[in-house]
Amino acid sequence: MNDTIDAEVARYAAAVRAAFADRPGPERELLLEDLEDHLQEVAAEAGGSLAERLGRPEAYAAELRASAGLPAAGPGAGGRRRGLRESAAARRLERLWRGARAHPAGRAVVEFLPELRPAWWVARGYVAVQAVAVALTPLLGGGGLRFPIPELFGSRVLGLLVTGAAVVASVRLGRRGPGGARRHALTVLANAALGLFAVVMLAELGASEAADDYRPQEVIFTQPAPGLRNDGVEISNIFAFDANGKPLRDVYLVDQDGSAIVATSTDEPELEPRLPLDRDGNPVPHRYPQQQERLVPVDGGDMERRPVPAPRFTPPPGPVRPPPAPPATGPPAGP
Amino acid sequence: MDTTQLLKGVLDLAVLAVVGERDGYGYDVVRRLRAAGLDDVGDASVYGTLRRLYAGGHLTSYVVPSEEGPHRKYYAINDAGRAQLADSTGTWRSFTDAMDKLLGAGGEEAA
Repeated sequence: MNDTIDAEVARYAAAVRAAFADRPGPERELLLEDLEDHLQEVAAEAGGSLAERLGRPEAYAAELRASAGLPAAGPGAGGRRRGLRESAAARRLERLWRGARAHPAGRAVVEFLPELRPAWWVARGYVAVQAVAVALTPLLGGGGLRFPIPELFGSRVLGLLVTGAAVVASVRLGRRGPGGARRHALTVLANAALGLFAVVMLAELGASEAADDYRPQEVIFTQPAPGLRNDGVEISNIFAFDANGKPLRDVYLVDQDGSAIVATSTDEPELEPRLPLDRDGNPVPHRYPQQQERLVPVDGGDMERRPVPAPRFTPPPGPVRPPPAPPATGPPAGP
Repeated sequence: MDTTQLLKGVLDLAVLAVVGERDGYGYDVVRRLRAAGLDDVGDASVYGTLRRLYAGGHLTSYVVPSEEGPHRKYYAINDAGRAQLADSTGTWRSFTDAMDKLLGAGGEEAA
């Protein structure tokens, strides 16, 4: 083995792994676990660089994804935008962005963002007029910030007309696209200033509307932890038992909408599920209990797979009766 | 006709057949498939298929230490893999029979 091969393999493997950044950790590891060893074999075999023999790592990753039954990676998972990826901060930002996109809720928000643009164009026109009205107040007098119609030179009619014109102009500006670098920079600056003013304006509005019973409210946004969870604890496997406490095998589980319930092991990446395959070779993730193995470190620094034992289960003291019938409230059945 | 499209559907079967014949590590499986005449088979496809079959419990694996070069992870077929291989072989045979009949009967006009 020589160092240049090692370095080449490491570089190539890292590029392939980067294309799997959107997949959960355990799935990625299960798939790419011995990628480096495999590439070593290829590299040691004969002449030519890895890229010459296997193609670009992005293409290799795409083929790997397809053969492993994964969907194609979205843009951004591959090697594009190399310039941006150089700095560590940008990488971290991109990872966050990808994390947000990987989460269904995050993806919904991200995909929705461009649709908000026209709304911003309209709001921008209105905010601009309000900004001008406030800026002119010290010169011309008048009430300053007025809701909802801005007051210009003491006239609401004029304010309304100017607002209409400003909204039209703002939308036209938005529809024209970013334009040259210089205009783009100016637009970004103006947008930032107007955005800031909009926040101040809304705060002002909030203060005047709720001046009497203004109470600070604490709002906590929590990001739900990824994975299948039971009271916050991740569910990595599910065991079903019949009424006599006999363990059931090969049970399919779906939720109230009929969607597959898929156990996860985000918190415990050393758990490896062995999923059964359907006729077409696709893994069936919602058949329980899953066979699982745990990677356990053994002497000498190696990892060993050990089957994970089933949990102990004691049925509730029987006989278990059905729930009591609810009191009859509906109309009596029959004529 | 593009053989890579055809390969996609039968790569599981091909890999199971090769590993069923004799245990092998990843690149060894690639080489044996190519030696058998599947020249277009992609390294990444074989690797991905091996990992998927392994994850699905159709293959087991063990590591063989080597003096020079990396330790090799060998894949071996197990009972589930053999059952899958037998099943897929049956499907393949009836499929090729049907295609043979079709092409023999009216392949020229259909093309």
